[in-house]
Amino acid sequence: MSDLLWNLLFGLPDQRPGGLLLSVLSAVAAGVAAVLVGLVYATVCVARPAISLCLQAPLAILRGTPLLLLIFALAQVTGLPLVLTGFLALTLYSLSHVGETLRSYLAAYPRGLREQARLLTLSPVQEWLRLRVPWTFRRSVDALGTHWVSLLKDTGALTILGIGELTTVARMLGEHATTSRWALVLGTASALYLAAVLVLMRLLAFLKVRLTGREAQLT
Amino acid sequence: MSGFAAPVLGTVVLFGLSATLAVSLAFLLAAGSLGRSRPARAGAQTLITLTRGVPTSLLVVAAGVGVIGHPPPAWLPSPFPGTSAGMALVAWAVTIGLAFGSTGHFAVIFRTGYHAISPARREQVAVLGLGRARRLRLLVGEAAESTLAPFGARLVHHLHNTAFAALFPVADLLGWVQQRASETFLVSRYVAIGVAVYVILSFLVWAVCRGIEYRIAHRATPGLRPLSRVAT
Repeated sequence: MSDLLWNLLFGLPDQRPGGLLLSVLSAVAAGVAAVLVGLVYATVCVARPAISLCLQAPLAILRGTPLLLLIFALAQVTGLPLVLTGFLALTLYSLSHVGETLRSYLAAYPRGLREQARLLTLSPVQEWLRLRVPWTFRRSVDALGTHWVSLLKDTGALTILGIGELTTVARMLGEHATTSRWALVLGTASALYLAAVLVLMRLLAFLKVRLTGREAQLT
Repeated sequence: MSGFAAPVLGTVVLFGLSATLAVSLAFLLAAGSLGRSRPARAGAQTLITLTRGVPTSLLVVAAGVGVIGHPPPAWLPSPFPGTSAGMALVAWAVTIGLAFGSTGHFAVIFRTGYHAISPARREQVAVLGLGRARRLRLLVGEAAESTLAPFGARLVHHLHNTAFAALFPVADLLGWVQQRASETFLVSRYVAIGVAVYVILSFLVWAVCRGIEYRIAHRATPGLRPLSRVAT
């Protein structure tokens, strides 16, 4: 049982780091990269509405494409190492959702705050960094949080690459097992996913309280 | 392009069957989690949390791996185009795994829609003296306006999840793309076809949901109108 748990947490002996650790690392890395690129995308769309359609259309197509197909296409076309392919696919998939969320909140930035920045003689870059981006994050934390929970679960799609994240390990351990062993493997993997999702939800609730409290102090 | 129709139909059938099952189970779970019985509420809530917290990939893998060594019983129908009769049990298991993957999400959407109806409005429905079925139709109509947008978004996600069927010998669009790409080395062509079909199917799902939303908002039959228009 301890071997099983160890393998599901950290991957099979020849594929470490793997298991839940790799799932979480993939989700965090892709989530952070998607938010950074998404901010650039949102800024360009808000600053130059004329070209935003050219950027929004590919993202809309990306949103209509299953993650599994995206992973398969990147694995075939790019020739990158499989872990990097998975990271790139998750980032693009996440960007297609996060980019639009950030764009809509960045566009909804209130006029009053812009005037306050002008009164404080902040440069446009200072206003963007010190007021607009933090305001956008505070407003979009709920939507981003929902997406991050979904992203953590979607790392299971990397099983198509066979890179040894949690679903792949569970699949490999369960394939040639007896029925009771199969139930134990998949039940433990499910419990690990559930625990990871619940921890992430608690972290998001904590982050929301912190951000809301900070906003209340500022206003 | 040989054998293109069967995998597309396979995806549509997988989607249709699993979505129908998911929506039916979600109705039951949403009703259970809103019910008066405490054990029923706790049971429904546990199932909702479980199906929302466990990835669809794992549910599908669990279902498929669990039955792949067993032959299908003779009575089991095989409505999956392109899937061999010997894999019917796996196809059904994948369908059930896909359905469980969305059940919790649909249940939460339905429950949120119910909560969006004000208590006064719910009481109005209760005192109208209607039968249970008619009352349910009125409540569904009333909640639909706030429910259809997230419901449609989840349906599109559910459609994309059908691609997990490609992990098993069950005919679906992603499996066809993978097979054709490796047979012909024309990866870009078959990926583009796959993307185009998924985008079109996603658009159709979205358009149907928007159509229903529009019909509910502009319904002319008094008995089926949203309660906001019946009662005021």
